[in-house]
Amino acid sequence: MSIISNSTGSFFTRSLSQMADLRDGIERARTQIATGNRIERGSDDPAAAAQLRSVARRERLAAVEGDNAARLGQDLGSAADEVEAVEALLQRARELAVQAATATTGADGRRAIAFELEQLNEELFSRANGAALTGEPLFAGLSSSTAFTRDALGNVTYVGTPASGAVSVAPGTVIERGLPGNEVFEFNLGGIPSSAFAVLGGLAAALNGGSPDPAGAARAALDGIDTALDTANRAQTILGTRMAWVEQVQQQQADRGIALAERRSRVGDTDIAEAITRLQQSLTALEASQAAFARVSDLTLFRALR
Amino acid sequence: MPAAIFTIARSGLTASRVSLELTAQNIANAGNADYSRRTLTQGELVMIGSIGINQADGLGGVRPGSIERAESGLVQRQARDAGSALAAAEAEFLAMREAESAIEASGVFTGLVDFEAALTRLEGNPLEPALRLSALESARQMASNFRVANGTLTNTRALVQGEASAEVPSVNELAAQLAEINRDLVGAREGTSGRAALLDARDKALRGLAEQFTISPTINANGTVDVALAGTPSLALVTGAVASSVSVSFAADGTVSFAVGGTAFAPGGGAMAGRGAALDQMAALQIQLDTLAASAISIANTAQGNGVGSDGIPGQPLFSGTGAGDINVVLGSAGGLATAPAGSPAGSRDTGNLTALLGALGADTGPAAGADALLLGLSSRVAALQTRADGLGVVAASAEAELLRDTGVDIDTEAANLVRLQQAFEANSRVIQVATELFDTILGLG
Repeated sequence: MSIISNSTGSFFTRSLSQMADLRDGIERARTQIATGNRIERGSDDPAAAAQLRSVARRERLAAVEGDNAARLGQDLGSAADEVEAVEALLQRARELAVQAATATTGADGRRAIAFELEQLNEELFSRANGAALTGEPLFAGLSSSTAFTRDALGNVTYVGTPASGAVSVAPGTVIERGLPGNEVFEFNLGGIPSSAFAVLGGLAAALNGGSPDPAGAARAALDGIDTALDTANRAQTILGTRMAWVEQVQQQQADRGIALAERRSRVGDTDIAEAITRLQQSLTALEASQAAFARVSDLTLFRALR
Repeated sequence: MPAAIFTIARSGLTASRVSLELTAQNIANAGNADYSRRTLTQGELVMIGSIGINQADGLGGVRPGSIERAESGLVQRQARDAGSALAAAEAEFLAMREAESAIEASGVFTGLVDFEAALTRLEGNPLEPALRLSALESARQMASNFRVANGTLTNTRALVQGEASAEVPSVNELAAQLAEINRDLVGAREGTSGRAALLDARDKALRGLAEQFTISPTINANGTVDVALAGTPSLALVTGAVASSVSVSFAADGTVSFAVGGTAFAPGGGAMAGRGAALDQMAALQIQLDTLAASAISIANTAQGNGVGSDGIPGQPLFSGTGAGDINVVLGSAGGLATAPAGSPAGSRDTGNLTALLGALGADTGPAAGADALLLGLSSRVAALQTRADGLGVVAASAEAELLRDTGVDIDTEAANLVRLQQAFEANSRVIQVATELFDTILGLG
């Protein structure tokens, strides 16, 4: 007689492993809901985990680049403010020069103008050595010491570097940090290197009795002041363009940040609705299978044989 | 001949009592996975005598035969092989998952990215002491993450090695048991409970062995078994009553090698083969991790050599060490980070050298990309191993179920047998009672 038997041990093992599987699924769904992460470890989904890693790296670097861009914007803003003040200052110097150039201004008047010009030159020097919010010189290029120095005779020299460094604000985008002082305050006047300091200083000295024809000297100085204004204007334009560029980069960074976050969420976040549905489904299945197990395991012949 | 009724009924009583005992034994062992259910064979007893041409026969009842053990060599073998394959896949999977956790959780990748981020921040303001210090500290953190990864990988390897070492004595114990069983089986009489119990023990020992090493057993006619360990080359472990012993040894890179009776062999399957494969992969991982650390060390130190610090002094090496185990920060002060190119004066805000370092770190061949590739390779491997282990788990479970169906105890069948045998026992008692009454009647006639 051949009996197809259903071993009792096999029934219990099978039921147990099935219920363990269900419990496992429930545990997993619960963890996914609790942590919000779909992927607990890399091997859950290797490709998605690799994507998440690259997104995490990009996000980390983007945050730093964002800070760098904000800082760069501030530095450029400070420099632009200084240059704007310098322009106003040069404008005032031009008015004074025009005033001094008219024959009707007397010697006292010229001395007063010379005095004001000296003050303006002083202010110009201090603005040229202006510092950013964090204390770095604005117009010294790569150097961390002052941009301009003045010797005992009052001659002002540029001691910074001829180039200012660049900051990377986005992958593949570097923006120069500012303008070196020689590009803002120094220029060629009739083929001879000169600077705003030399022009103002020279005019003040001429009006102070250094020249036999102060009005002529003032007229001659107008050219220099105009060139100084042009140079400052040019610097202002460059700084303004860079600020606009930084702003554009910041906008892009914000957009990219959102795109990165969306991507991370799509790849790595738990779909709560789906996870809860799955959890509910598994719970129902587990309850049903436990009930079925209890019922079936109760069905032995021994129970019927009492 | 009324006396015959007594003997017939007595033989029936004996047969049903022995069957009842076996049923009780089956029920008692219903939860014992290594037990094969037993049945009693029975034979009719007829006595035939002839004198000349006169032939007469007398009924003698039933003869309790031998104790049969439900046995199925093929299914046993299937269950054994499936178990062996599952053990190999699971051992490898569990070991590699440990390795994955070790390297993933130690934050090698995060450390590299943080270092990169700190350097990028420094680019914004290269002379700020706080940013320099934070860059130096993130370098220290990165080095420490490498060391942690190295340590946890070493730990994982030690655990797998410990497991392999711990299982070898139990393999040798099983081999010795099998030799002992072989010796006893030669003397055991066919059809006895003792022999059935020995065969149970034999199959259990074979299954235990197969879990560690894939075996190719030869079952002889008398029930003894000769066991060879499958592999390259296949080597005999148990021959008759003689068992060889298995030994294990580990190389400097952590890989394992096995030998039977002094002859080296590579196991063809079983948990030991899985552990061996895992240890091989961990050795490769170690090399990858060391290469990664070495590349981070060389990139940072080369950049340091190409530049000057904030004080204008040529940069000193940032890291010491040659691999993941001994990478450490040796640069004394944050001012020594060579952000400016060589030849720059003290206090230069030039970040040319820093940019070059960042470029090398973030390049497609740089350490961050290397760490990502390492993690991707490892987690893909673990995912593949998990799939394989899951699949083999299903195969092994169905083979096990098949085996239990063929040899296991079904409580319902036993309950039915109990009822049937009880009735048989009662019926035989009744026959004796009838025989007694017959005698009494005959005696009463006189």
